[in-house]
Amino acid sequence: MSLQRHHLAWGLLAAAVVALVAFAEARLSGYERTVMGFAGIYAMLAISLSFSNGLTGLFSLGHPAFMMVGGYVAAILTFPANRKGFMLPALPEWMATLEWSLFPATLAGGVAAAAVAVIAGFPVLRLRGHYLAVATLGLIIILRVVINNADGVTRGALGLNGIPRHTDLWWIFGWLALCLFVCWRLKYSSVGRSLLAIRENEMAAACMGVPRARAKLAAFALGAFFAGVGGALWAHLLTNLTPGSFSITLAFMLVVMVVVGGSGSLIGAAIAAVAITFLSEALRPVEQAVGAYGLVQIVIAVLLIAMLLLRPQGLFASAEPALLRPAPFRARRPRHPSQVEKREV
Amino acid sequence: MRFSSVLMAASALALLGSVVPSQSEAQEPIRVAALSALTGGMSSLDGPSLKGAELHVDQINEEGGVLGRPLELVVFDTRTDQQVTATAAQEAVSSGVVAGFGQSDTTFVMAAAPTFQDAGIPFITSGATHPMLPTWVGDHMFMAAFGDDDQSYAIADYAYDTLGHRRVYVWTDNSMDFTRALTAFFKERFEERGGEIIDEDFFMMGDTDFSAQIARLEAVDPAPDAVFISAIPSEAGLSVRQIREAGIEMDIISGDGFDTELVASVPGPDLANDVYFSTHTYLADDRPEVQAFIDAYEAKFGHAPENSFAPLGYDAIGLIANAIEQAGSDDPAAVRDALAETRDYPAVTGTISYTRENMVPPKPVSIISVHSAEFTVEDIWRPE
Amino acid sequence: MTSSYLLQQVLNGLVLGSVYALAAVGFSMIYGIVRLINFAHGDVLMVGAFTAFGILLVFGFPLWAAVLAVLTIGAILAMLIDLVAFRPQRNAPQVNGFITSLGVSILMQNLGILLLSGRPRPFNLPDWLRSNLEIAGARMTVLEVVTVVITLVVLAGLTLFVRGTRLGIGMRATAENPTAARLMGIRVNRAIATAFALGGALAGLAGLLYAGRAGQIHPLMGFVPGLKAFVAAVIGGVGSLVGAVLGGYLLGFAEVLFVGLMPPAYGSYRDAFVFGLLILILLIMPNGLMGRAAEERA
Repeated sequence: MSLQRHHLAWGLLAAAVVALVAFAEARLSGYERTVMGFAGIYAMLAISLSFSNGLTGLFSLGHPAFMMVGGYVAAILTFPANRKGFMLPALPEWMATLEWSLFPATLAGGVAAAAVAVIAGFPVLRLRGHYLAVATLGLIIILRVVINNADGVTRGALGLNGIPRHTDLWWIFGWLALCLFVCWRLKYSSVGRSLLAIRENEMAAACMGVPRARAKLAAFALGAFFAGVGGALWAHLLTNLTPGSFSITLAFMLVVMVVVGGSGSLIGAAIAAVAITFLSEALRPVEQAVGAYGLVQIVIAVLLIAMLLLRPQGLFASAEPALLRPAPFRARRPRHPSQVEKREV
Repeated sequence: MRFSSVLMAASALALLGSVVPSQSEAQEPIRVAALSALTGGMSSLDGPSLKGAELHVDQINEEGGVLGRPLELVVFDTRTDQQVTATAAQEAVSSGVVAGFGQSDTTFVMAAAPTFQDAGIPFITSGATHPMLPTWVGDHMFMAAFGDDDQSYAIADYAYDTLGHRRVYVWTDNSMDFTRALTAFFKERFEERGGEIIDEDFFMMGDTDFSAQIARLEAVDPAPDAVFISAIPSEAGLSVRQIREAGIEMDIISGDGFDTELVASVPGPDLANDVYFSTHTYLADDRPEVQAFIDAYEAKFGHAPENSFAPLGYDAIGLIANAIEQAGSDDPAAVRDALAETRDYPAVTGTISYTRENMVPPKPVSIISVHSAEFTVEDIWRPE
Repeated sequence: MTSSYLLQQVLNGLVLGSVYALAAVGFSMIYGIVRLINFAHGDVLMVGAFTAFGILLVFGFPLWAAVLAVLTIGAILAMLIDLVAFRPQRNAPQVNGFITSLGVSILMQNLGILLLSGRPRPFNLPDWLRSNLEIAGARMTVLEVVTVVITLVVLAGLTLFVRGTRLGIGMRATAENPTAARLMGIRVNRAIATAFALGGALAGLAGLLYAGRAGQIHPLMGFVPGLKAFVAAVIGGVGSLVGAVLGGYLLGFAEVLFVGLMPPAYGSYRDAFVFGLLILILLIMPNGLMGRAAEERA
């Protein structure tokens, strides 16, 4: 394969990110690294949600539920064995002696989240539009209640604290890169085209031979996998996990990132996630100086509404920055549903 | 070139990181981080706590500061949100503070305090009361308040001995570690004393409708002597009002989650009756520092302290300032050692000494009653 | 378990369901006409509660003035939100409207915190509304009886309005097909504004009743009833008025009876049960109880 312009662009982008992470790990303070870490985790969550929601047209709010699964599974696996015994008395013995390192634990968290997504998705994905949104919202609440009451395994409302701080920026941005790579390759493959076809017109897609149930379930599970990984990284960055850690508000914020970035645009979602994270941190000192608490949220809300009014298709619509796209995809842009006269009956 | 924006962001970050903190000079203030939830559910506790702290900082600076240097509060609004709390803790330990304080609930303390522990900076929680906190976090974690075991024992003893309760029904907010701990310690003590826990009901933080639980409470025959409600302020006034509105007149007992004016104002003077709760001591004490605090608070803010979290915030600053003086240095390690050696510090909420092995200060506990929406201190319970 | 205990729990469910129904009807009506999940609906309810607080407890006006004020302010506020935030993007994808409403909701909540402070305030209606009535061994406050009656009257009135008046028929036509409605000479924007006004007025009224029953208000209080209205509307089939009422009552009964009839230890599983039930209903009836099947077209 000959070297093309977009390969060069990707190479430069990767080099820039590696340089940035190396610089951050060496020079930035713990606080600045934490903010960067959250930005990276949110970028990964937004990318995976943009893949399953934006590209496939599912309207899922369930990401926090999968983060909960991934976070708790990973945290229980990495938790120091000497404290696990008395803190989590109901754990089966073989689990109580485990003390995994971050990578396998994160992977296990992701797999567990994907498994939950497959089990839940099998019935729930038959629902459409807002019905699916409510059902996935219900998933967050059900999981939270279960974790809250499973004291012996999760410490209930008390939450898991003292989780080892294993997550660093290398892990976060490594996973982010993997997530982007997988979603990107899938988007620009026949699978991605099938998913887009489902979003644009499910019936027509089915007529063209797209196995829509299986395709939707796969996209949902992939999104859940990265949400689980995100939850695991989050837990090992914050070192503290409670049933309230991943809320409905978080589900909303992630959907906001996807829409601001442009539904289905992976890079757009990542940029929106990073921008929103940094913006709310950057505005905080202003809020403190003025003494007007709540200002950050107000500014973000106003910007969001303005954005939707002035640029309803988001930053990039469903497309990606031209520079990064392989040549065959550079000319044509997928049409956004807003340009299509369509109305549910 | 689209990369320019990425590069610009990178160089902006680089610039941010390269700002080296300037060397501390003699008159440079000693900075203390305040991590308080000024918005969200915990704000009715953290808000007064921060005001108490601000008052104490002003007083100290008027008298020449500590070690001849002014004290400065660096305030972070933690928004009743774990992630914001954790990030704020990171920011605080990166900004050269000598100690941190704040937070009135265990969950949020656990989001912040381990960061201070790792950074070797002491953290005092003004209001959280879980007796295991110092054990969980480590030797840089300090409590200005008593432990939940003490306050639960206090109200259990008072209910059994003074109010003569033998059969008690228990309501618990099942979504919070604080409320669950309070219930566990209460049941332990009350049953140990020979009382009977008839049954339990549960609700979740944010519930506004208690009609189902009330109907069940009403149906208990014979009626219990009291209902113990383990709740935080947002549900405290609501539950009292709805129980009284249903015509149930049994005593209502609780812990410091009820230490809010909402317990009186939400039911109103006609219904806010026969409520007893244990809380931090200050109102009934005739020690001079108590009255001085109340007067100064009224002078600064134009109203009396909202609840006992205001003096707790005041005391947290007092403990820190005292430790800095004792250490003779603003080095966090020295301040931690001095804090751990605190003995008989005359705090507004009772004398503080870190003498117990679990580092929870043994402090007197007040029993407060509410009749016709008036708060009265009934008794002061002392740990043995 | 005595029969009066059971009756008491049923009445509790009826009252809670009435408040949910009142909020859900407005929600569903707005969805029906513009296909918009309006998450700011709960915050209109919050503004209604604060309006009543101001009129009754700050200015000391009588109750009827407060009722009039919450209806008016709720209607004006909802129309204003529509005009500023939703009307300019009628043709955008559905998810944009949803996100916009989230933005409006965050904006209103934080403006509330900024202007009114985040601390909860007591909210007390006049004493006569809080006195108890005996009904076959069970009890209800006057406010609770009034809540149930108002809900039923309002819903009957609304149904008549939508079925019988020109404006109501215009609204139904717009819900059916806005383009065709416009071609038939119906003033579509006026029909939509009417839906927002009615929905907003009902949300304001629900705010007064909800706050009056609970006894406490704060700027974030709209979130839970907003979410419940959403759920109730979806159970009933979004867009259907009768469905929203059924959904509201079903939700109210499910919540109260689950706590009331299950052993106490299960009380904290309530929300899991409610949402489990919701998912089950949707799996059996993917368009809710009264919703029309979404026709698939190529």
